[in-house]
Amino acid sequence: MIDLDVLTPSDVIADGAPTVWRSREDLAGTAEYAVFRANEFLPGATDAGELEVDAGPSRRTFLQIMGASMAMMGLAGCRRPAEEILPYARKPEEVVPGLPNFYATAMPFAGAVQALLVESYEGRPTKIEGNPEHPVSRGKSGLFAQASILNLYDPDRSRTVYRNGSASTWNEFLSAVQGMNADGASVAVIAEPSSSTTQASIQQQFEQRFPGARWIELHANGDDVTALGTQAAFGRPLRPHYKLSSADVIVSFDADFIGSEDPNSVWNSREYAASRNVDVRGSMSRLYAFESTYTGTGGMADHRKALRACDIAHVAAAVGQGLGVGNGSLGSSTFAGDPMVQAIVQDVRAAGGNAAFVAGPTQPVQVHALCAALNAQFGGNVVEYLDTGAVSVTSLSQSMATLVEDMQAGRIQLLLMLGANPGYSLPANLNFAEAIGNVGMSVHVGLHRDETGQLATWHVPGTHFLEAWDDGRAWDGTLSIIQPLIAPLYKAAHSNLEILSLFATGQYRGGYELVRGTLRPALGSEDAWRTALHDGFVPNTQYAVAGVAGGAPDLSGLPVMADDETEVVFRTSPKLHDGAFSNNAWMQELPHPVSKLVWDNAATMSRATADALGVNIALSKGKHEADIITLSVNGVDRTLPVWVQEGHPDGSITVTLGYGRNLASERQVSDRNLLARIFDRDVDIYRPGPLANGVGTNVGPMRSLGNMAVATASSIAATGESMMLVTTQDHGSMEGRAIVRMTTLEEYQSDPEVIQHQQHILDNTPWEDYPPLWTEPRAASDDPRIANAMYSSEQWGMSIDLNTCTGCNACVVACQSENNIQVVGKDQVSRGRELQWLRIDRYYTGNEANPGMVVQPMMCQHCENAPCESVCPVAATSHSPDGLNEMTYNRCIGTRYCSNNCPYKVRRFNYYNWVKTLPIEVRMAQNPNVTMRFRGVMEKCTYCVQRIRRTQQYAHIEDRPIRDGEISTACQQACPSDAITFGNIADPESAVAKSKHNPRGYDVLAELAVKPRTSYLARLRNPHPSLAEA
Amino acid sequence: MATTSTSYDESSLAYPAGVPKTLEDAPLVGGNLSFHDVTELIAGHNEKKTPLFWFFGFSVALFLLGIFGLSISYLVWNGTGTWGVNNPVGWGWAIVNFVWWVGIGHAGTLISAILFLFRQRWRTSINRAAEAMTLFAVACALVFPTFHTGRPWLDYWMMPVPNQMALWPQFKSPLMWDVFAVSIYGMVSLLFWYTGLIPDLATLRDRATGLRQKIIGIMALGWTGSNRHWRHYDRAYLILAGLATPLVLSVHSVVSFDFAVSIVPGWHTTIFPPYFVAGAIFSGFAMVMTLLLVARKAYNLQNLITLDHLEKMNLIILLTGSIVGFAYITEFFMAWYSGVAYEQYAFRNRAFGDYAWAYWIMMSCNLLLPQLYWVKKFRRSIPLMFTIAIVVNIGMWFERFVIVVSSLHRDYLPSSWDYYSPTIWDAGIYLGTFGLFFTLFFLFLRFFPMVAIAEIKGVLPQANPHYYDHGQGDGHAGEAPKAAVSAKTDEVG
Repeated sequence: MIDLDVLTPSDVIADGAPTVWRSREDLAGTAEYAVFRANEFLPGATDAGELEVDAGPSRRTFLQIMGASMAMMGLAGCRRPAEEILPYARKPEEVVPGLPNFYATAMPFAGAVQALLVESYEGRPTKIEGNPEHPVSRGKSGLFAQASILNLYDPDRSRTVYRNGSASTWNEFLSAVQGMNADGASVAVIAEPSSSTTQASIQQQFEQRFPGARWIELHANGDDVTALGTQAAFGRPLRPHYKLSSADVIVSFDADFIGSEDPNSVWNSREYAASRNVDVRGSMSRLYAFESTYTGTGGMADHRKALRACDIAHVAAAVGQGLGVGNGSLGSSTFAGDPMVQAIVQDVRAAGGNAAFVAGPTQPVQVHALCAALNAQFGGNVVEYLDTGAVSVTSLSQSMATLVEDMQAGRIQLLLMLGANPGYSLPANLNFAEAIGNVGMSVHVGLHRDETGQLATWHVPGTHFLEAWDDGRAWDGTLSIIQPLIAPLYKAAHSNLEILSLFATGQYRGGYELVRGTLRPALGSEDAWRTALHDGFVPNTQYAVAGVAGGAPDLSGLPVMADDETEVVFRTSPKLHDGAFSNNAWMQELPHPVSKLVWDNAATMSRATADALGVNIALSKGKHEADIITLSVNGVDRTLPVWVQEGHPDGSITVTLGYGRNLASERQVSDRNLLARIFDRDVDIYRPGPLANGVGTNVGPMRSLGNMAVATASSIAATGESMMLVTTQDHGSMEGRAIVRMTTLEEYQSDPEVIQHQQHILDNTPWEDYPPLWTEPRAASDDPRIANAMYSSEQWGMSIDLNTCTGCNACVVACQSENNIQVVGKDQVSRGRELQWLRIDRYYTGNEANPGMVVQPMMCQHCENAPCESVCPVAATSHSPDGLNEMTYNRCIGTRYCSNNCPYKVRRFNYYNWVKTLPIEVRMAQNPNVTMRFRGVMEKCTYCVQRIRRTQQYAHIEDRPIRDGEISTACQQACPSDAITFGNIADPESAVAKSKHNPRGYDVLAELAVKPRTSYLARLRNPHPSLAEA
Repeated sequence: MATTSTSYDESSLAYPAGVPKTLEDAPLVGGNLSFHDVTELIAGHNEKKTPLFWFFGFSVALFLLGIFGLSISYLVWNGTGTWGVNNPVGWGWAIVNFVWWVGIGHAGTLISAILFLFRQRWRTSINRAAEAMTLFAVACALVFPTFHTGRPWLDYWMMPVPNQMALWPQFKSPLMWDVFAVSIYGMVSLLFWYTGLIPDLATLRDRATGLRQKIIGIMALGWTGSNRHWRHYDRAYLILAGLATPLVLSVHSVVSFDFAVSIVPGWHTTIFPPYFVAGAIFSGFAMVMTLLLVARKAYNLQNLITLDHLEKMNLIILLTGSIVGFAYITEFFMAWYSGVAYEQYAFRNRAFGDYAWAYWIMMSCNLLLPQLYWVKKFRRSIPLMFTIAIVVNIGMWFERFVIVVSSLHRDYLPSSWDYYSPTIWDAGIYLGTFGLFFTLFFLFLRFFPMVAIAEIKGVLPQANPHYYDHGQGDGHAGEAPKAAVSAKTDEVG
């Protein structure tokens, strides 16, 4: 599909001579020719690589506006914007208006890349999917990849070069760089972690120009503890790669390895799901989790124990001791006799190399080293250690401390900050903000003029990964070329590579030139280069597996915390990460995977801790009123609302990074007229400024370089004030209803029908006493009416496996991106008006002290007897011949009766006009194939009907039946653990029909006889026999 | 001839000595009024100078109407989001108010049609005002379904308007049934009311001069009071009463289908139609009572709307209040007896959940307080009956609130459970409909005969063809005067 224009004028290789030339003037490279070449086409015909939203109507701008106006075609009434529609004068090759093109690229995330396939309409990328050919992604993508498209269209992105806080120009910056000279020792770079080979080669040039320059990678969690741990265990940093599909025992020490924040979460989720696939394996892995906060991994665990992060280290030591690994100095640890530890030891010994130990970012280096040693000994079949080529890593407490000291002392002439935001995340007691003032020239490159951008002498707008060339390596090392899908939206935006190269060579070179310059020779041939671009990755470029053995971790230095002390654990947010997604409206409104909190961060603690502090969170009238505490850590005070979380360890407070932002935006917010000022109910989340500003509290500065993850609270005091916290789900109990059905592996294997018998409609009456009056076919595909459907041979249905769904939220954002679902803001969510079509219901099970958690994706079930359809007075919702419950927005008058009558409450109503105030940039992120909904209209999951119809059209043109699996809904396509199956249930051979025959299959609220087309596969637990719950 | 005194004389209502004290026997009109007295008494209010209290009341009503206009404008400008409705609770105050107003709109037609067919002659003194109240209540009720939709400018799609796309309303939806039930009810009530007005308008016309006479003359449709007119009138009135009677029962049954036909626990109940009709009559009578107790005093109509009338209405309130109370308890029984966990939860939640306060307000207002009417003294106490009428109105509002909100806010999946709180715009539009209601009602009081002149005359002792045969008084105790509506006015012809 990809057609890279290799004849672009910038197609030059390292020495600057064109490889192809059009005339002798071109070959000679005369100045006149350069001018001629730039003006070869009429104004507007080309963009010379530069694009600006508010520039004149260039072709691409025009396309963007046209795309936006198409996206807004759903608007009805007097507010429809007037846009002129012009035809293409000349049709670009392969671009058919209205039909998407797909390009392979990759997203850098937490030091690795995620391989992607991006959907683009007329040059406008709109949707991100995983690259189906890529060995790690296999067509799946994580939460952050799904959300990253909106970062591209963030209206608050920086647009202009800034110098000392006032607007400047790129040319001024260029001359400043070219006039700059610094001694190598006085040069430092703080960069976001990168796996780019091009960057590595430019880094070499940079270090040649500035010998002795310092290069510090600032990870989201501060230190890269995994690398430090493997370095401690094996002598050099290695990268663990978990092939969990064959694991029998998995032990997590505060690691949310299937949560979205893990850089390899897509792989881990799929592998974990495979290890739980009882239908294929006949058995299931057993997951033990020790957690200092409730995560999706804890929810999936067969045994979960909530402990303080500092105690988990000692549990790890006890496990190590039980297995004979580690120096055993903690033999007297209270955890040695813990039944869960003993069960783990027993299981691991029985697993025969099929065990995996995963340590999370809150754990000290020693625990990572211990896990490495344990994996080397007991996880030979499951855990591989990859050699990334890194020779050594140093902790921030050494590198950053000296750097800031030198900055303070004026010994730093040039400080380059590439995508990193130290001004926001570094500990306050380092005094980075003051130190940067003594730096000769500080340069910040980033998407926003953020906290650091406002401190630096120079701020250069950064590029989004969809706008600039780069490359990178996936977690397993597979090399991907990051190719842009769109020219930078703002003229002044430049990529990290370009800026770094500018400093390294003093010459500006474009990203394409740089990346091609590095990789084209490495790939060998032009064909290989083009294939790599087309495929999105270079096969067989995985890192080598390092042979590891032994490792005797020294656990003597494990910190000990007194029982009466309260620890504070700093985590990246499962929604905003380290702040990279702070200004992403989807992510702000995304419910937290466990607490379901939106738009805020809080100090999460257990009920007992809250009681001891004398604080509380009161749920009244559907709103949480949370007491505010002042948390004092490392001499820094922050006020935060309290969140009481079931299953949270006592004596531990979790706080999340990424909040409390201060972004400077250049976006003009237009004044409204008098009438609008008086009458308009202000529900515009993009007004007045960046939406990230003022949301939550920045907790990063409370950390200390020594331990960026865990600290001891020096004081916690209630302020006496309270604030409203908003969740999308207030009730965590299933009230005894068989909504999420579950059982244990053992029971299921002895009686596969056990799930069917859980449908208790009558209280306290056994199934056998009250069998249903008539028997429905197990699966809809057995229903002769469906098998012989009169009007359509395709009958769509879905099956969701609750045994593998981790509640990671990737589907929620994928749905939001695919279906143009709007964001309503904290106040409106508090009024119950969130619009996400797909929600993930979370229920707690078991006892209150140590509750289990189950999750259930819930969206329109496309009932055959749809209760919504019969009550609509204008037939705005009706059934299609292929079994979809369709919503006709144009016909809807908004009585909301359908929503009232929906037993699943999956219908969403547009209480306001959310599209009216959408900034033009955000409009560009909308899918042109999905109508934008007007105020007063009901909406809901459509099974991605636009994808169904598109595939039907292709199949019709090609005169063939639709293949099973050819259509995937957005949620299904994103799902890293492949929990969602979609297809034609009238075809008994389809995956979905087979899934519905699974004895674990059931319909939620089947007793209402609404006959939902979406069914679920029950959750199975695999508890250790000795730990069976009372 | 009787005196022309219009002062209220309780003693004139006393049973004549030696007459058995049955309700039927008590005189329906007090004060020994003559035909002319009645005309003077009623038509006089339309003709003499407007009293000051009317201006006062009317300006308050207009102020509330202003709030109505503001609330509607704000709503249409911004959207239903200005209300408190949310995702599980898609219907809030708007539908509560709709059902409440429609319920109130029941009393008029019930009094006019059903009591007419049952020959309850005491209805004559109150039917005109009650019918007017019905019309205005239906008008207020219609505001809510009209404006609670997300896009009210497209509401006409609920009408079967032929169009080239052959798009038709969806007749399976109870909301469609509502559209027809309420609009037919409104239309028939209007016709019924206007038909009854014709002889009285003619009376007003004959007493007026100039432009006023012309305008009222047009409205009186050329009524002359001829025997032929009366014959047609009687027949038309009877037919309309026959038509209106099933509507009284059907309209609130259909309104109850909005809930009963759905699958929401707490709504999906077969008891709803009779229970809603009883509740509607209950609240309708309470509203009639509220209005008439004031109008009776203000316009000095004590001789026409006597304590006996009020007592009879109180008996109906007692009856219907007990019916709804019985229904409330039956619902609990059914929830328990069904064994369905969702139903059981819905009713437990009603009585003890987040909205328990609303439930217990409803129970005490609707079931407990009207039980006072078992005592005759209470039935005849004006202050008490005014209080209870207000209380019943409040209680019936809460009944609808409990049904609509407490059922929706917690249904099948606990993950969706939420709470509903109204906003000031919910309150504004509700308050505003009182403005609409009272504005119309004050105009009615000012420009139309508030008591049916012709009908009242039919129940005067003089209307008895034998009245003059045997001297003063009803010589044939126990024999009712015949053909209540056949009495002619002495002014006409």
